[in-house]
Amino acid sequence: MLPVLRTTVVGSYSVPEWLERLKTDYYRNRISRSHLREIHDMAIKAALKDQETAGIDVVSDGELRRDNDIDYFLARIPGVQIPVTVKSFYYDYYDTLVVDPLPTDPPPLGLADDYRFTRQYTDRPVKFSFTGPFSLSHRIRNKAYAKSADLVRALAQVLNAEARALAEAGAKLLQIDEPYLAGYPEDVAVAVEAINIVTRGVDVRWGLHVCYGNRYARPSWEGHYDFLFPAVLDANVDQLILEFGRKGYEDLHMIQRLGWDRALGLGVVDVKTEQIETAEVIAQRIRKALETFPADKLIINPDCGLRHLPADVARAKLAAMVQGTIAVRRSLPAALSQEPPSQEPTIEQGA
Amino acid sequence: MLVDFRPTGKLRGSKPVDVTAALGPVVDALAEDSVDLSRVRVVCDWVQYRSNFRDVVDIRPILAAHGHESVLAPVPLAAVVTEDELEVAIDVRRSGDVPLKQLTAGLIRARFGDANPSRIHLEPWLPASASVIWEFNALYWKALDLWEQATGRRYEQALPGGQSDARNRDAVREMISSLFVLWDSLAARNALPEELYVVELGVGNGGQAKTWLDEFIELDREHGKDYYRRLHYLMCDYSPHVLQLARTAVANHDQHVSSFVLDATQPRTALGFLRYKIFLVYISNVYDNLPTDEVAQIGGRTYIVQTRAYLTREAAAEIGQLVAAPPDQVPELIRKLLRLGPALLAEAAPAHFPSIETAVDFWRRSWEALRLEEQYLPLAGLDLYQIAPTVSGEMLRPLLESGAAIRMHVNNGAVASFVDTVPLLHPYGRLVCHDLFVTDVHGYRTGFRGPGKYDGSIVNWVNGPLLAHIGRRKGFDVDYQRFARTGTNIVTMTAQVRD
Repeated sequence: MLPVLRTTVVGSYSVPEWLERLKTDYYRNRISRSHLREIHDMAIKAALKDQETAGIDVVSDGELRRDNDIDYFLARIPGVQIPVTVKSFYYDYYDTLVVDPLPTDPPPLGLADDYRFTRQYTDRPVKFSFTGPFSLSHRIRNKAYAKSADLVRALAQVLNAEARALAEAGAKLLQIDEPYLAGYPEDVAVAVEAINIVTRGVDVRWGLHVCYGNRYARPSWEGHYDFLFPAVLDANVDQLILEFGRKGYEDLHMIQRLGWDRALGLGVVDVKTEQIETAEVIAQRIRKALETFPADKLIINPDCGLRHLPADVARAKLAAMVQGTIAVRRSLPAALSQEPPSQEPTIEQGA
Repeated sequence: MLVDFRPTGKLRGSKPVDVTAALGPVVDALAEDSVDLSRVRVVCDWVQYRSNFRDVVDIRPILAAHGHESVLAPVPLAAVVTEDELEVAIDVRRSGDVPLKQLTAGLIRARFGDANPSRIHLEPWLPASASVIWEFNALYWKALDLWEQATGRRYEQALPGGQSDARNRDAVREMISSLFVLWDSLAARNALPEELYVVELGVGNGGQAKTWLDEFIELDREHGKDYYRRLHYLMCDYSPHVLQLARTAVANHDQHVSSFVLDATQPRTALGFLRYKIFLVYISNVYDNLPTDEVAQIGGRTYIVQTRAYLTREAAAEIGQLVAAPPDQVPELIRKLLRLGPALLAEAAPAHFPSIETAVDFWRRSWEALRLEEQYLPLAGLDLYQIAPTVSGEMLRPLLESGAAIRMHVNNGAVASFVDTVPLLHPYGRLVCHDLFVTDVHGYRTGFRGPGKYDGSIVNWVNGPLLAHIGRRKGFDVDYQRFARTGTNIVTMTAQVRD
C-alpha cells in the first residue's frame, strides 16, 4: 500500500560522465550495441537501487537507455528518416524527417521490453514515461503532412500502440512528457487531443508531465501554467506533474481555481541546480502546497528528470525529498496519514 | 632528436628566417654535451611580443614521474610513448642577436634546475596559472591609476591598434538590431520580461558601454518600441578604478546603468540573481588576461607545463640598487609589493621606498625583468586535473586523444568565467566575446600564443576549440568569426543555447 504524499521521480536519472562517454562511443561506432545494452542494464540496476535506498515509493528506470528525450523514440518509429546516424555526442539531437505518412499499424517500438527489464529488478511500483507526440513532432521536419497537427496525431497513434504493449507487459502507471508544450502554448488544444489518442483504451493510470524544458539543465522557456487551461481539463490523464521547485508555487492557486481536481505531481526539487535542498525546505514546499491541494491529491517528485545532476547530488536530493515528505506525513492528522490515498480514477472510470 | 619549428610562415617571404643560424649553434652545443640526443626536443617559436617572459634560448626538463605513483597504481602508458628528457626552446625572432651556442651550452650544463647561479627564483615550480605573474597582473588592474601616472599613457593605448575593438559601431549596431528582432518575437508571444538585462564583463574605460548605449538609444528611437526604458546595463569589472572611469563615461545613461566590482571568473557571485535573465553578455579582451595553465602532448604522453618565475641576477642587482637592497632581497620586496601594492609599500618600507613613485618604479622594473622557466610534469590522468571548479580535465580529451604532439593553453580563468556566465543567459540570450582566440588546435602548432606582456598585464591567446567543446557539453553552440575590423587578430566568439 502506498502512503499518502507518495514520492516518485519524473523519469530520468543522473547520467555520469563515464556513461556519457560510453554512449558517445556507441554513436561513433566504437562499441557494439550488445555491449551498450549490457552497460545500460547495469546502470539501470544501480539507478533502481539508488532510488530504493533514498526511499522513493514509485521508481523508474532512469531513462538510462535513452540518448535523449526525442531520438530514442523517433529512431524506432517506422517512416521517420534519419539521414545521419552518427553523433559526435550522444545527447545531440538527430536531424529527422518524414516524407510519407507514418504507418497506421506500426510494429512495437520495444519500450515494453524496457519496462519488463525494470519490473524484474524492483519490488516497488514502477512509473514508465515516454515523450509525447506533440514534443516528438517538433523535432521532425515534416514533408508528409499538410498540417503539423496531422503529424502530431499520427505520432499519437504510434504511441497508443506502444502504450497498449506496455499495459500488456504489466505497466500500471504511464507518463507522457511534453517538454516542448510550454514553448508553444497556442497549440495546447492539439497537444491534448493527441494525448487522448495516446491514452485511448489503455487501462493504466496516466500522468502528464509539462515543464519549461530541461535540456542541459536549462529552461527553454519561461511563463506560467495558465496556458494549459482549460484544455488540459479534457486530457484523459490522472496526474498532472508540474515544475514548481525552481519557479515557485504561485501557480498552485490558479491551477486549483481553474478546475484541476485530479492528482498533482508537485515538483519540490530544483533539478537545474546542484544545490541540495534540505528536508526542511522540502517540507515547507509541501506544506505550502497543502494550503491549496489536499494531501490525497498530491504526489511528491522533483521538478523534472535528474539526468544532468551528478550522481551524488541526485542521491542527496532524492533523500532530502523523501525525508521532507516523511516529516510532513507525520504532521498530518492521524487518520489521513495512515490511510492510503483516494483511488485515482483510471481512463475507463472517466477521468 | 625531434626538431619542432613552429613559425613555418616565417620560412618564406622577403626576410625568411635562417633556420641554420637558429638551429646550428644549438645542435652544436648539444652535441658537445653528454646529453642523450635521442631524448632531446628542439622547439623553435617566433615570440611576437616585444615584452615577454622568455629568454632567447631556454632548457625545459621533461620529467618522468608525475607525483602520484605513491598513492595510485601505475598509470598505463601506450606502447608508443617516448621518454624525452629535455626540450630546448629557441625564440627565432631574437636568436640572431645573441651568442646562441654559448648560451645553450651554459644552460645545458646548469640543466638540473636550482644549480643555475645566474637566476634568482621568486617561487617554486607551479602550474602556470598559479604563478606569481598573475599577482602582478592583478596588481596592475588594482593600481592602474598609479601605473598610468608613471607611464603617462592610458592602458588602452597599450592594446594593439591603440583602442578596444569593442567600439566598432557597425558591430554594435548589428548586435543591438539582432536583440530587437528577438525581443519583438518574444513580445509577440507575451514572453518578453519587463526588465531587459545586458551585462558587460570587463568594462575598460567605459568606451564600449558608451558606444553601445548611445547606439541603443538611436536604434530604439528608429525602432519605436521604447526598449531603452526597460534596459538595464550592468557594468562589471575587477578594478574599482576602471569601473569609476567607466561610470563617468556613461554618466548620461546613469538611470539605466549599474556597476559591480567582481572577479570575471566568478560572475555569479554578484549576478546570481539574474540566472536565465540576461539577454546579452558582452565581453571584450578579458579572457586573454585570465590565469591559464598549458598542457602538452609530447611523445604520446600528456604533461602539464610547470613554470617558475625568476629574475636574472644581473637584473635583480640593478633593481636592488634602485631600492637599496642586495639582489637576494629583491624577491622578498616583490612579495611585499604584491601583497600591499605600491602606495602602502612606500609607507611600510620607507627605507627602501622613500616615495610611491619609487615603489611604482620598482614594480615596473621588476615586471619588465620577470622571466619564466618551464618544465613538463606528466599528468597521471585527465580526471586528476581540474580545469576550473566545476570542469574536469576530461574536457581536454577530445583535443588530445589523437596523440599528436601539441602544446596549448587551458585558459582556466576563461573557462571558469565562461561556465559561470552561461547559466545567467536567458533561454534566447547570447554571450558575445571579442578576444584573441585560437580557433583551430592547429593554430598552436604554427604560432606562439603567449604569454606576453601588455604594459603591466599579461596576454595569452584563448583556446577556442576547448571553449567550444565545453560550451557544447553545456548545451551551447559556440561559433567563431574574425572580427569586422581589418588588420586585427581579434575574433568574435558567440555562444547561444543549442536546439
